[in-house]
Amino acid sequence: MPVTERPKPSLVPEYCKGCGRCVSVCVKGCIAFDDEINPATGVVPVVIDLEKCNGCGLCIEACPEPYGLRALDQGEDYELQDPAKLYGARLSEAPEPEDIPAQRIPLPACQPLVIKGNYAAALGALLAGCRHVYGYPITPSTEGAELMSKLLPRLDGVFLQAVSEVATVNHMYGTGGAGLPCLTFTSSPGFSLMLEGISYMAGAEVPAVFINIMRGGPGLGNIAPEQSDIKLACRGLGHGNTHAICLTPSTPQEMLDLTILAFELSFKYRHPVILLADGYLGQMTGKVQLPDHMTKPGIPKWAVYGDLAHRKNLINSIYLDEHDLERHNEYLCGKYEAMQAEARAETFLCEDAELIVVACNTPARAAKGAVQELRHQGLKAGLFRPLTVWPFPVEQLKAHLGPGRRLLVVEASAGQLEDELRLALSHAGLPVPPVAHVRRMGGMLPQQDQIVAAATAILA
Amino acid sequence: MSATLEYQAKDYKSELKPIWCPGCGDYSVVQGIYRALAAIGRPPHEIAFISGIGCSSRIPGYTTAYGFNTVHGRALPIAQGIKMANPDLLVLAAGGDGDGFSIGGGHLAHLVRRNMDITYIVMDNQIYGLTKGQLSPTSQKGRQTCTSRFGSLEEPVNPLLYMLAYGAHFVAQACPTDLAGMAAIIEEAIRFPGFAFVNIQSPCVTYGEEAQQMKGLKAIQESLKALGHDPADRLAAMDLAQQYGTKMHLGVFYRNPEPPATYEQLVRERQAEQMKNAAPRERILDLFIKK
Ligand SMILES: Cc1ncc(C[n+]2csc(CCOP(=O)(O)OP(=O)(O)O)c2C)c(N)n1
Ligand code: SF4
Ligand SMILES: [Mg+2]
Repeated sequence: MPVTERPKPSLVPEYCKGCGRCVSVCVKGCIAFDDEINPATGVVPVVIDLEKCNGCGLCIEACPEPYGLRALDQGEDYELQDPAKLYGARLSEAPEPEDIPAQRIPLPACQPLVIKGNYAAALGALLAGCRHVYGYPITPSTEGAELMSKLLPRLDGVFLQAVSEVATVNHMYGTGGAGLPCLTFTSSPGFSLMLEGISYMAGAEVPAVFINIMRGGPGLGNIAPEQSDIKLACRGLGHGNTHAICLTPSTPQEMLDLTILAFELSFKYRHPVILLADGYLGQMTGKVQLPDHMTKPGIPKWAVYGDLAHRKNLINSIYLDEHDLERHNEYLCGKYEAMQAEARAETFLCEDAELIVVACNTPARAAKGAVQELRHQGLKAGLFRPLTVWPFPVEQLKAHLGPGRRLLVVEASAGQLEDELRLALSHAGLPVPPVAHVRRMGGMLPQQDQIVAAATAILA
Repeated sequence: MSATLEYQAKDYKSELKPIWCPGCGDYSVVQGIYRALAAIGRPPHEIAFISGIGCSSRIPGYTTAYGFNTVHGRALPIAQGIKMANPDLLVLAAGGDGDGFSIGGGHLAHLVRRNMDITYIVMDNQIYGLTKGQLSPTSQKGRQTCTSRFGSLEEPVNPLLYMLAYGAHFVAQACPTDLAGMAAIIEEAIRFPGFAFVNIQSPCVTYGEEAQQMKGLKAIQESLKALGHDPADRLAAMDLAQQYGTKMHLGVFYRNPEPPATYEQLVRERQAEQMKNAAPRERILDLFIKK
């Protein structure tokens, strides 16, 4: 017969040395020092008055003597009565939740649009079925929010201007937790503010898409393009064991395509996904071909949508028991391992290249021009363009490495991309070939002639 | 040394040329601040002027005070850090309605209840100026902006009522429509011993609405003095503050006639008390190690 009440302590006076540790932990004041010497031991045990005792058990834990304070009568074998056993199952008609699958809706063919990168990403989100967009204005990302404010009310959607980026990310935690696709547009200082929330979302496995139109930093920096947050997105997504897939588009077309992909991946892995673009790409206008279908999102079975079907679900990032939290982290590590399969890259003339230029985002455009120019001069250069910086496409790069091959990392930051590259090579157990770099900062982008000059110095 | 010098408004004006749009209300606000500072006469190096981010937050740069153009929404926590580092400074904080009531809104109540001697000036233009015209927390319900295409669905905040309800001991409102009055209010706010809040209706000529330009504001302005309002009457102040958005009352809504001790005074008292029998600095470890 299981015990239904928490056991109260009982004192074995022969073992008590009156150290008083139990006296100081008892919040109810049940235990006191005594002044009567125990004739058997010659020491002064404490005295207990159980009238106010609520069976918290802290005194039993505090007692350093193995047999000093023990649970009254029931020995150590007690268990708290589970309300489910005591009163029977809770009244609920909740079924086991099932996935309501997303639907593919074909789109009629249409002429390509000529639009800004920010608008292309917004359009991508709409076609991916996102109807909840939150944001706080920040240059150079605000066009995305502005367009959403215009379009979403006509599409049965919601755009809400949050009071800050801290509020934004937590709006997303709420909507994502309900199993709905949601998005924000932000830029570096705002992304910094979102990290706390992103860590919670990673822990609680909540999908959402963050479009970070990176600008010059640190601090307020400026509003010109920089690849300032590669480190933050790849290595610093808030506290704890966090990672997220980081996509790096280079054209308005990719702003659209990779935003759509970001939603797919965020739901596939139940995890935030970051789209890292730079200020130039957000503002750049280009030709954008629309896909042949759009998505009407369903509701995943894990969602806490707030209806009967999802009554049994729980979304949460707290695991007070150390073993549970370790297990949860191991599970997350498994997820991060699985995400490695999403590493993507595009290569250009890499097959026979003696020098592989590595670049993403807008700098990859100048790098491509440089590679073409170098080839005209008869120099064997190629471009390796990561479409994901986390996971870094090291497998794809590996194919083009070998004796005599060199790397030239071109980036608009102080080496954040190069760090990812080196770390990936190191984790993959690959030797690091000679690496040179062209770096610009502060809103300045690497220029084609700089890249050509650096490459020529290496190759010629 | 400072007593021998007579400072004039021009001594608080920096060499920097403001890059606000021509006609922006903030030009008048900085003039009002020059005048108030001249009337008080503290040398510029004894003044710290802290702002957040926004058009209005450029203002410290246009003065000769120690200026700190900080982080969006964080002027007040930074100002408090500065005041704690050097309580003798005259600490001014300023910024926009978005900076102060949206992203930084959570800091207001806590500076009010902490009551440091900081003067906070908000240039309330009901819009996000710097980021080019988005909805602000003081924008009227229904207001159409580039992030509220079909009109805002939210009630605006009422900064005056908020501050009064938080328990601020000095709450006032001013407007460039009355520059001399504005300078006098800023001066009074700075002289007030404790946290003082001045909301300034400062029109944004580029993204602001017609009704919130000088002409429109003039039409709804009303002097609290002329109304016979007693600034010691907090409840009457709250009554009048309710009309924020429809009427523009200028003057002091509330000034606590018996201002309580400021946080820095209390800190000094606490330190004096605790330091009475303190061991010399070399024996710092005595605090941790029981003999
Ligand atoms: C964390 C962060 N988010 C967003 C911004 C972009 N931003 C700069 S100023 C501003 C609002 C400006 O409005 P307001 O405070 O009313 O000042 P005004 O320009 O109207 O004087 C915003 C959203 C930023 N600098 N930092
Ligand atoms: S945008 Fe508005 S607030 Fe900013 S400087 Fe111009 S008028 Fe002033
Ligand atoms: Mg404003």
